Amino acid sequence: MTIERPLEARIVDYLATRLPEGRDFALHNVQRIAVGWSHETWLFDLAWRDGGETRQRGLCLRRDPGNTLLRHLSSLEEQFRVLQCLADTPLPTPKPYWFESDPAILDRPFLIMEKVPGTCPSPWGREGRAFYEAAAARGTLPAHFTATLATLHALDWRAAGLDFLGVPAPGTTFARREIAKWRQLIDVSGHAPEPILTDLIAWLEANAPTVDRVTLVHGAYRTGNLLIHDDRISAVLDWELQVLGDPMYDVAYVLSDLNREGTPLLSNLVDRDRFYRDYQAATGFTIDDDICRYYNALYAMRSVAFWMSASGLYADGQSQDIRLARTAWSVPVVLERAARELGY
Amino acid sequence: MTPDQLLDRIAGTLRRDVGPAVGAEFPRTQAFMAAVVLQKLGRQLACAEAHRAAAAADMDALIVDLNAALAAQATPPSIAMAVAALARRRNAAALCGLIGALYDARAALEPARFDAVLGRVRRVLRADIDRRLEFAE
Repeated sequence: MTIERPLEARIVDYLATRLPEGRDFALHNVQRIAVGWSHETWLFDLAWRDGGETRQRGLCLRRDPGNTLLRHLSSLEEQFRVLQCLADTPLPTPKPYWFESDPAILDRPFLIMEKVPGTCPSPWGREGRAFYEAAAARGTLPAHFTATLATLHALDWRAAGLDFLGVPAPGTTFARREIAKWRQLIDVSGHAPEPILTDLIAWLEANAPTVDRVTLVHGAYRTGNLLIHDDRISAVLDWELQVLGDPMYDVAYVLSDLNREGTPLLSNLVDRDRFYRDYQAATGFTIDDDICRYYNALYAMRSVAFWMSASGLYADGQSQDIRLARTAWSVPVVLERAARELGY
Repeated sequence: MTPDQLLDRIAGTLRRDVGPAVGAEFPRTQAFMAAVVLQKLGRQLACAEAHRAAAAADMDALIVDLNAALAAQATPPSIAMAVAALARRRNAAALCGLIGALYDARAALEPARFDAVLGRVRRVLRADIDRRLEFAE
């Protein structure tokens, strides 16, 4: 019988191969963080000796558990590539170091990136809400939230090499591509037919907006996906849903009721009028409320896809996490929101 | 004790006695989440009979109204077929089929007629989702 070596020891072995000049490698402050529904994440400090000197580097390891909410749509390799492209841009992101797809190393694909200083309070918990409320009162972080989104949308994605994400053709391609993507996730989830969802998808297809400018779109730009240090965003995280497309897709997400709880502040942080003013001034883009309402309906479809996928993973035995089973009841909640978006 | 009462009671035990006694964060969360699932299941079970009856009555009324609307004016065959399928199968899949057929034939319908027929279908969808929210929220 073989006894599997502890993960930490295997991480050390791997890092020793990546830093061949070093010796006496050790991990300190190892922390598995329980965030999100997708990848397993560990933070740690790597210490080693190199040429008589002691060195230390903070690292973050993300591993694919093989049954993420996004299923085949989630790729750590793509995340790694996106982070490589963003490394030399003004957008604050963690520096990516290594990606490995070989399961012989840590059983499943993983990436290792810089551990950026900062915290990422959840906007859904009491402590997180208090954190953002206090930051909103100080004013620095809300301004930086908007400025960072403007930086993201102003980024020269071609120069950064991000065109591998797929450049949408002019016209309605962007929205149609998103609809097709989330429909694919719904189809593999094995969920029973939902007439409101059919109505929503048909409506989205019939009303897809024309996109006349293409930017990098994060896809989930909100507090909880942003690392914060000294009242500023030290890193934009969660590069799982990014696309090239309409910047209003991100703006709609910021404006969405989905991302605030018990407060009129966008993302629990930013005053709505201030966001409109600062974002428009920084980007030169006019926020189109009708298009944002359209994308809000598209986000309802995306949410349904997430929850159908999650509950499907539990139903077909790919996950034992009861949190996923619970999401079966999130489906009607989001469908009700979709019905309201469609005016009934 | 009815099945829904039983589930509710087990959920209470998980929440009050089991969850707090578990030290590690992940299994503790699982215990609390299991309590939530059982409670929702219990509510769903308690509502099931009344909801089934209401849904059947809504479906009856919808089919009567749709047939009347179809009889009044010439209708694209795809919609007539979808309504006939709904009358036969009376389920969510057939409703999806009708909604799809309506959107596909949108150009062939007067906008007001499209809105009226879809609006009538949506009344049923609204009532259904309101019932589901009684146990989902």
